[in-house]
Parts: sequence; structure tokens; C-alpha cells
Amino acid sequence: MTRTRKPGISRRSTLALMGAGAVTFATPWVARAQAKTIKVGMPTILSGRVAQLGTSSRNGVMLEVEKVNAAGGLAGRQIEMVIRDSKGQPQEAARVARELVNTDGCELLIDAEASSGAFAVHEVARDLGVLCIHTNSETSSLTADPKQHIPNAFRTARQGVHDSIVGGSYAAAIAKAKGLKKWATCSPDYAYGRDTTGEYVTYLKRFAPDVEIISESWPKLFQPDYTEVVTKILQAKPQALYSCLWGGDLTSYIDQANIYALFTQMEVFAVNMADYTALTVVKNLPKGIHSGNRYIKTYPATAENAAWGDAYKAKYGEYPTNWSWENATAIMLLAEASKKANSADGKKLAEALRGLKIKSPFGADGTVTMRAEDQTLIGYAIGWGTTIPQEPYVPEVKPGDWKTILELEAEWKKSKGYT
Amino acid sequence: MTELQAEQASKVLDNSVTKSKPRPNRDALIALAVFVVLALLPMLTSSKFLLDFVIRCAAYGLFATSLNLLVGYTGLTSFGHGMFFGLGAYGFGLMMQKTGVAVPVAFVATLAITFVVALVIGAICVRLKEIYFAFVTLAFQMLIHSTILSWVSLTGGDQGLRGGIPRPPFLGIDLSNHLHLYIVSCALLVIGLFLMHQIAQSPFGYTLRMIRDNATRASFIGIDVWRAKLTIFVLAALFASTGGMIMALFVSGAYPEFAYWTISGEGIFINMLGGVTTFLGPMVGTALFLILNDTVTRVTEYHGIVLGIVILFFAIGLRKGLMDFVIEWYVQRRERSGERTS
Repeated sequence: MTRTRKPGISRRSTLALMGAGAVTFATPWVARAQAKTIKVGMPTILSGRVAQLGTSSRNGVMLEVEKVNAAGGLAGRQIEMVIRDSKGQPQEAARVARELVNTDGCELLIDAEASSGAFAVHEVARDLGVLCIHTNSETSSLTADPKQHIPNAFRTARQGVHDSIVGGSYAAAIAKAKGLKKWATCSPDYAYGRDTTGEYVTYLKRFAPDVEIISESWPKLFQPDYTEVVTKILQAKPQALYSCLWGGDLTSYIDQANIYALFTQMEVFAVNMADYTALTVVKNLPKGIHSGNRYIKTYPATAENAAWGDAYKAKYGEYPTNWSWENATAIMLLAEASKKANSADGKKLAEALRGLKIKSPFGADGTVTMRAEDQTLIGYAIGWGTTIPQEPYVPEVKPGDWKTILELEAEWKKSKGYT
Repeated sequence: MTELQAEQASKVLDNSVTKSKPRPNRDALIALAVFVVLALLPMLTSSKFLLDFVIRCAAYGLFATSLNLLVGYTGLTSFGHGMFFGLGAYGFGLMMQKTGVAVPVAFVATLAITFVVALVIGAICVRLKEIYFAFVTLAFQMLIHSTILSWVSLTGGDQGLRGGIPRPPFLGIDLSNHLHLYIVSCALLVIGLFLMHQIAQSPFGYTLRMIRDNATRASFIGIDVWRAKLTIFVLAALFASTGGMIMALFVSGAYPEFAYWTISGEGIFINMLGGVTTFLGPMVGTALFLILNDTVTRVTEYHGIVLGIVILFFAIGLRKGLMDFVIEWYVQRRERSGERTS
């Protein structure tokens, strides 16, 4: 008698399914066991259009974690990173963050999410009370708005408003020197693009009151074709152009604008140009684009910074990104805080982090500080320079003045009703 | 839904028609028992992961099951069902943040808003058939998504609703307590499923099946097809909106992704996994989908490939959902035992 296979689920596969289910739910107990190592959870974006954000954040973190572990870890406990993909979806970021703490037993969180994901993780940190360091979100309100403030969340990323102040004052100086009065803007159409451009223009006009914006373009995020935008700008005939396009959008824009020789007809200020992700990808990098520094080996022009950039390149085969230094800084700060507190406990670390000043290759004066009042990073290298088509790409960077930044930031906070 | 699937669906459903009558009392008892089991779960285990999992199951489960009322029962393949999920999340979140009313008031008010929006959108969409219906629902979804993105002063744009959703305690229930949130989510899930089951088993539910199988015939025997379709469209939207509210409470915020087409896509995928021919198919699909998602993302960052292969396997290989297999297997077994005894 032949045995025919009946369609449907066999007893065996039912058992297998139930087994799989049991494993899924039993993992929490397995994860509890170790206490000697300290697990640090890191939700980030490892797939999709901005996967580079996640991979270069991870690289930056791992480079430093290895050093910390070699030196004995956090108060004697070796760091074990648990890095997981959120796919850039905020509800996944929240879920992953909760899972990392509740199931995997992570005692600290490095939130390497972008924009909305960072706010979702922030809520998880508020709910669970776990120490959380935001490393990629540059949205000023995350730390500036007192409604967002929680004692256990910090930020080691640059802040939008700092960028605008430095960018605005740098551009105003050039505008005055060269008589640039008619300006155009071209930025991606989402919160970051709109806010950053708005603040930049505010400070530009403040330092150079006779500047006038004659054309605004808002291409969609991840737009493939910029012909329309480029021709619109050319027709408006501005003397200068500001853009906060970034990554692949910026490089496509430059490649396409090159065809129309846009860069010979006006001064271009692109805040996100001086990052290796853009510098190394553009086909013919025009000379003389003004850009803010993101991560560049040449600024701060110190041996430590150059060595850090080279070590990163030697290990991962590419230069660090803006995200790399921001994430590396989180680990550096944690390491110092654990020394100061002589503990790896989240609450004690948070206490030690407030107001902590550490030596850093990314500091404007060789140090960075975790400001106590709003728990965000200050004193990092921030400045503007112009591009050349080959390495070192941005040979000279004019540093921003932190005294001015802090004064204007305080004023900005007041105007927003934050203080 | 293809004709083949529809045929299978009617076969399975016919089976259940001949053997079961609508029994609201029995359903209510089962619902109560399920709720009690779920409510006792936290006493048996300290796993917060399991509680999170059930809360997410409640959110996605209500959403997917309500989608099945359209796809499986009425033959309306909506590609834009996620808009009501997003609407629920934003409506509830905004109401709690801006007005500070009590949770039940915000809940009911959000349902009322969803009702109005679904009525307007439904009135336009349900006149259309098949691909046209699918695309117009998709278009409305993108309209709502774009509105959320551009109305920055109200919705926070692409950053979402920030600052957390306040949850003042009501009737002794404090939703900022995770256990309370869990119990409430379970209650909403069970009540939602119970109500949807009553709808599906009611004469109205059978009218829907008839419309799915032959709308012309239905209208010839005096059924107002447009009105019936509109009614189920609005009802399904209300349950999807409830799912969205649970999600908003879970993440303590609302994000534009909740109203994006990918959520609708996930809903369709869940229905494919679980099967559209049985009432509980989407619920099984939800559990399967979430387990799959959670385990795969834990293991690899190339989860897209894995999930893609699973979709292909279900769509091309199996051509039906998991619950369909279970039912078939059950029916066959009963037939066999029937043969033996006779």
C-alpha cells in the first residue's frame, strides 16, 4: 500500500511550531544568567535607504568598546553590545528598545535612531527609567524642550541650532565680504530640512540684515531627479545658495547640478557636504563649496583626530561618518563616567555624566562636555570650510566660536519658551 | 482575492454554515474564558516580553481581523486600511495631549472621528470594484499620510507626536502601569474579536458573503449592495482605529509610519499568513507575523530577504493561509472518523 501525503499540517510540524513558540518565550530566562558583563542595547537602522547610518554608528561604537574592554571595561565589567535593526520604523524602534531591556537584560541603551525613532526610544527610556544616550538625533527640541526632559536621557549628537548659528554667522561674513544679497535655498521637504533651513536663514539675516531670499525649493526626501529644482534656481539667478540636502540626495543633486554648471554661477553653502559619505561619492566634486564639518580628519587639526580617522579606516575600509564620532563619543563618555562613579549602574552613571568634561579627538579645544542643565553635548568641533576635489577635501576649517554659540542658543531657547 | 480562493472560501464556509448556527451566548463564554486566561497570564510568568507581545498582538490583531471583514468576507481588497490605524493612533494621542480629557472620552471621540472619516471615504470608495477600489483606498491613505506629514503644527510632521501621551487614571485603571495597559489591551482585543465575530455570523455577515460571491444576484434579490459595503467599511475602520489606539498607548506616541501604506501591506501579509477563509485566520497570522518578525530581526539584519521568502512561500507555494490548513485537516479528520463509524 502506498502512503499518500495528505495536505495540511502534520503532527510533527505542529510540534516543531510549538517548540519554536516556546523558545521565543523562554529566551528571557536564558538571558538573565550573566551578571559580570554589562549588556548595552543599541537600536538603530541597519536596513533600507539609510542603512549606512546604522553601520557607521555601529562601527564607531565597536571601535571604542574594544578599547574600553581592553582597559578593563565599565567599572570592571566587560561591555557586550546588543545591536538590533529597527528598519527605521518608530514602533519597531520602541519594541526593540523594550525587548533589549526587558528580554535581553541590557542595562544601558545607546539610541542610534534617526528623527522619529529617537523620540519613540525616548518614551521607552521615560517608561523604563533605563539610562539612554541619544547618539544620532540632531533635532534641538529633544533636549532643549523641558517637556522632553528626563533625568536618564542624554545626547551626544550635534544639535541643529548650534549648526545654524555657526553656519549663519560664517555665511554672513562671506556675504558681507563678497556682497552676496540675493540668496536661494534648496532643502529636503521634511522636519529636519524645514527647521534647519529656517534657523539658518534667521541667523544669516541677523548677522547680514540686507540678505534677501529670492527662491525656495523643497525637493522630496530621496528624490531621484533634481533637474526641475536646478533649473528653477538657475532661473532665479541668486548670488548664493544654501542647502541642507545630505547623503545620497546631496551627491545626486551635485552630480546633476554640475551638468548645468551651477557651481560656477553662485556661491554654494551645503552644510552636509564635508562628510566622507558625500565627499567620496560625488563624481566631480566642485572646488569651493562651503560646508559645515560633519566628520573630517583635518578638523580639529590634531594628531588625535587624524589618528582616530585612520584607525577607523584601517579597521572598516572606509572613513568615519558624522554618526561614527557621535556614537564613539557616547562610549567615551560612559567609560569616563564609570571611572568617576566607580560603578556601571545606570543611575550612578547618569549622575556622573551630568556636567562631565572629557578629552576627546572631536572637541573644539580637545575636550567635549555633557552640559548638566539639558544633558546634551557641547564643545564639539564645529566649523565651516571650502572643498577641493581631492583629499583632504576640506583643507581648512574656520572654527565656530562656542561663546557666541552658547549665547545665541540661550536666546533661542528663550524665544521658543523653553527657559 | 482570486476566484479560486473565493471558491475555497465558500466551500469551507458552507461547511460551517450547515453545522453551526450563530450562538452569541457560547461565543460570549468563549470570549470571557480567553480573557480570563490572558488576564491570568502575568501571574504565571514574569516575562515582560510576553506582555509586550500580547499588547502588540492586540493592536495588529484587531487591525488585521477588521481588514479580513473587508477582504475575506466582502471581497473588498483594501490597500488603504492602515489609514484608520493611523487615524486611531493620532486621534487618540492628540486628544490626550491637547485636551486632557479622560481616557474613555478620548476613546469614544476617536471612534466618532474615525466613523465620520470612514463614512466619507467609504462613500466614495465602495462604489468601485477590485483594483479601482484598491487603488482609491491607497490614494486616500497617502492623502492622510501626507496631511500628517505637512500639518506640522498639529501632528509634529515626520517627527510624530512627541512628549508622550498622558494617561490620567480612570475608574481605578492607570494605563501608565504596564500591567493595566496589558489587561485593557486584552479586554479590547477580546471584545473587538467578539463583536466582529457577531457581525460575521449575523444575517448581515451572510449578506456580505453573498455580495462577495455575486453582487449582481444580491442586488436582484433586493439588497442595497452599496449600503451594505459602506456599513462594513465603516465598521472595519472602527476596529482598525481601536488597534491604532492600542499601538499609540504601547509606544506612547503616534508616528506617520502608522498611516503609511506599509502598515496596510503588513495587514494584507498577515491575512495571507493566517488565511482569509476563517474568522480566526488573521489572528493566527498576526501571532505568526510578529513571532517571525521578532525572531528574524534578532538573528539577522537581512530580515527583508527572509520575510520575502516566507511571503513567496505562502503566496506561490501554499496558496492559502495557516488557519485554512488547520480547518481542512480538522474537517478531513472528522470525515474520516465519520466514515469509520458509519
